[in-house]
Amino acid sequence: MNFEPTPRPGQTRFDPLLLLALFGLMMVGVAFIYSASMANESTNTLPWFRQNHFKQIIWYTLGAAIAAALCLVDYHTLARWAIVAYWITILLLIAVLIPFIGKKIFGARRWIDLGFFQLQPSEFAKLSFIFVQAHFLSRPMDELRLPGNFFKALGLTALPFLLIMKEPDLGSALVLLPVGLVMFYAAGTPRRYLLQLVGGVGLLIALLLVDILFAPENLRIPLEPYQRHRLLVFFGRDFAPKNASLQERQTARELQRDKSYNVEQALISVGSGGLTGKGWRQGTQNALGFLPRAVAHNDFIFSVIAEEKGFVGSLMVITLYSVVLFTGIKIAGEARDRLGKLLAVGVVTLLFSHVFINIGMNIRLMPVTGVPLPLLSYGGSSVLCSLIAIGVLQNVYMYRRSY
Amino acid sequence: MLIFDQLKKNDATLRNLALAVFAGMCLLVTGLWYIQVMSSKRYLESEKDQSFRTVRIPAVRGKILDRNGISLAENRASYNVSLYLGEMRKPFQQEYKRAVTGTKGKLSKKQREELELQSRLRVASGVVQYLSSVMREPIDLDGPSFHRHYEKRRVLPLPVLQNLTASQIARFQEQPAYPAGVDLEVQPTRVYPYGSGAAHLIGHLKHDDSSVANEVAFFNYRLQDFRGVLGLEAAFDQELRGQAGIKSVQVNRLGYRQAENIWATAEPGKNVVLTIDLPIQLAAESALRSHPAMGTNARGAVVVMNVKNGDVLAMASNPAFDPNQFVRGLSSTEAQWLLEPKLTPQVNRATQGIYLPGSIFKIITALAALEAGVLDPAEVYHSPGVYPIGRGIKDTAEAGDYNFRRAFIKSSNCYFIEYGLRAHLDRILDMGHRFFLGERSGLPVYGQDKGGIFPTMEWVREARRRGQIWTDGDTANLCFGQGMVAVTPMQMAVMTSAVANGGKVFWPRLVQRLEVQEPVPNENPSTMLPVRLRAELGVHARNLEIIREAMMADVEDREGTAHTAFFENDKATPVLKGMRVGGKTGTAQIMQGGRVVDHVTWFVSFTSPENPRYAVVVMVESGSSGGGTCAPIALKVYKELLRHEASGKPASQTVAQLK
Repeated sequence: MNFEPTPRPGQTRFDPLLLLALFGLMMVGVAFIYSASMANESTNTLPWFRQNHFKQIIWYTLGAAIAAALCLVDYHTLARWAIVAYWITILLLIAVLIPFIGKKIFGARRWIDLGFFQLQPSEFAKLSFIFVQAHFLSRPMDELRLPGNFFKALGLTALPFLLIMKEPDLGSALVLLPVGLVMFYAAGTPRRYLLQLVGGVGLLIALLLVDILFAPENLRIPLEPYQRHRLLVFFGRDFAPKNASLQERQTARELQRDKSYNVEQALISVGSGGLTGKGWRQGTQNALGFLPRAVAHNDFIFSVIAEEKGFVGSLMVITLYSVVLFTGIKIAGEARDRLGKLLAVGVVTLLFSHVFINIGMNIRLMPVTGVPLPLLSYGGSSVLCSLIAIGVLQNVYMYRRSY
Repeated sequence: MLIFDQLKKNDATLRNLALAVFAGMCLLVTGLWYIQVMSSKRYLESEKDQSFRTVRIPAVRGKILDRNGISLAENRASYNVSLYLGEMRKPFQQEYKRAVTGTKGKLSKKQREELELQSRLRVASGVVQYLSSVMREPIDLDGPSFHRHYEKRRVLPLPVLQNLTASQIARFQEQPAYPAGVDLEVQPTRVYPYGSGAAHLIGHLKHDDSSVANEVAFFNYRLQDFRGVLGLEAAFDQELRGQAGIKSVQVNRLGYRQAENIWATAEPGKNVVLTIDLPIQLAAESALRSHPAMGTNARGAVVVMNVKNGDVLAMASNPAFDPNQFVRGLSSTEAQWLLEPKLTPQVNRATQGIYLPGSIFKIITALAALEAGVLDPAEVYHSPGVYPIGRGIKDTAEAGDYNFRRAFIKSSNCYFIEYGLRAHLDRILDMGHRFFLGERSGLPVYGQDKGGIFPTMEWVREARRRGQIWTDGDTANLCFGQGMVAVTPMQMAVMTSAVANGGKVFWPRLVQRLEVQEPVPNENPSTMLPVRLRAELGVHARNLEIIREAMMADVEDREGTAHTAFFENDKATPVLKGMRVGGKTGTAQIMQGGRVVDHVTWFVSFTSPENPRYAVVVMVESGSSGGGTCAPIALKVYKELLRHEASGKPASQTVAQLK
């Protein structure tokens, strides 16, 4: 077979709309990381090359370079290495749990300190998971009907899921579920399995929630307190147990207020932006520190954009993401084979999950989880992964069928 | 189109994926629309609530000026050394960090808060200690009040040293640098340059920063403001205080000041321009205090009035407080002195004190008798020395023959009882009411304007029905100003003016006009308060003439009770050159259980019957006699009036000499 790219005349190697949307998102990212960081006294006195927005540009450049490099090699070749990449990331996920290697920030071991860069293995695990799952599921349809293969694929999903849960990073772990599910679905897994899977996952989540929200203390599954609190906040449940004393109730209420603080402030930021916003760098929520400074430029960057640019700005961000996502779906449709289609579908689902969960948590549609907004949130691992994921998309597009 | 193409795909799985993504994005857009557009108002409000504090800025209080524009009450900058807590955040944090590293183990939230609190106080105390060494005087920082200020008024400066003197300011400025957060703060404060001068009519203020009517009622913070509680400061409080402004202070999450913005500027209050002539006012006050025996504790009042229009040129009352004390806060001895039951320094004796008139009431008795036609001034009446009524009323003037003039200048009680009884009670009461005795003078001196006591015929009849019979003895007492009558010096000034000017009873005027502090073009800068005639006496000019002649004689005749005061020792050379004065003395006896316990002495007077200009009324409690105590005080006032007229200089220059 001839795997050389042979685009027909008039067919482009790059999707211009996708590139335009990406460029737009990166511009927005730099502008608002700048806005979010400049209000912060401890960062705005740093030299320019150590400023967050500049570092973000470096990550963009690096990510774009890696993505471009990936496009030089056909995704089939890449997929052959997928299983290796997968096990490397699994090793990293295990390594991060070891106290001497993993760095603990706010009670979670998610980072490996490389000196110049805090590596977040869970981000890369998402990518390698897509690759390995796509590679595994791209086998002939008949083989997918075998229960053994189904459970193997399930195992491939469960392993990183559990490891990331252990960090703990509930958000990143949960993102794997829709990605896995959609890839199963797109691969043509028999309906029977799918229903079981959806039912199983649904039941699992339902049980989890009921347990967290309603079960008495001794029957609860072990969970970090802050994770439980976030969920309690989201579902508006009282922190205090039913039979609590007045004193307990009061401390619980105080705790609740503290814990609801981020969500409350994010909502005020977004809401006070109104239709057109207060203007770039004019947002008071961020400048006055009501929106916590530690998260304003990463997990809650959307609040800053929404406050300063209003509904119009929010709509623009969503439009840019929509362009990326639907281009991804288009690429999936035009892919040369099932591997390409599955890769594209995986990437689209991953990006969509991130966007939906992150923006959703800013408007109280979703509980607060540490899921970054692709390309807009500050952070090396997240930017690199997002750009690599889009590089994969582009790869599938470049080596698409040529009829 | 990109999106719709994907939604219409042939590949079912991709179509469903596209639908799901589309639905998700729509959900986000709907959610954002709901929050950012539908409910943005609510969030904007909560954003404002948490980041804005409103501060009430008091307006610049209007001045109180005398008729020549000299300030009796004005505003000056007062300087405080204050701590600006927002600028001390860094040292607070550093100190806290240092404190935290010194502790072992994990701290509970409460312990951390306690540690923060202590760190803040340590930093602030350090700064204050340093300040204390620079200023070379002990400065205290009270821990609890510092914490309270930090909790409640963090955006406002915390004064640590108030009302700096010029040398203190200089000392502060000499130091080139201070720790973060130390600075001078300027505050307007009320100053009365003449201290206790005209104190009663000016009144005083008290600290009060609450909102007045027609003003925003809710503020997060209020700056120091004052409210008038007495005198003109109270009566014209609304005009003087103007309209307070609103300042909004943006604060950050920790409640520190971030930015300021004036929402509504304060509108300065109006100046109140008085009819008072300050040099005369001060002369009247010093004349009161010049009493040889009583000195500064002399209890009395002087009213100087322009007889032509009722303008009050001076209104003195002694003892007087210093309104400056109320601004900076009273000391306990000062507060005690103010409550002294005998001195009653807070009482404005000119308008608020009511006194037995004594012989000066004979003016009214005489007018009533003259108008009734029962008194012929030339008729000679033989006084028995004791008037045979009741147990007999003893006269202070010796027995003998009196015509009207002699009876008036020697102040024979028997004579006026005789003619008063002939005129009858109702005529006397009617004459008193024509001078509005028993009624307020209508002065804008808050809480100080008393009407005194003067019965009406209805009251007399009513009392009779209750079994309280009004006897001829009562009428006899009234005839020479004893018994059922009490007047204010201001009422007597109005009466004297009416006699002098030929029968015009004026409303005494204290305030000429209200002036805008900063005039706006095309807008009238001042509101005039016109001269107001209260009533015409409606008596024959000839009868007033008779009274005036008698009053002139009381001073100019050798036998007159006021003669000694106004003439040199040779009893022929007048002390005043170029000004003739007529008057009537009075010495009322305060009886208690049939015994005389005290006296109220009076001298009511006016200038030059040919061209009457001024009326001067002097009242002194516990004086020896009207002629001996009050007439010399009046003389001093007339001397000043003369000097004032002769100099022709603007009054402001004469004040400098007086001070």
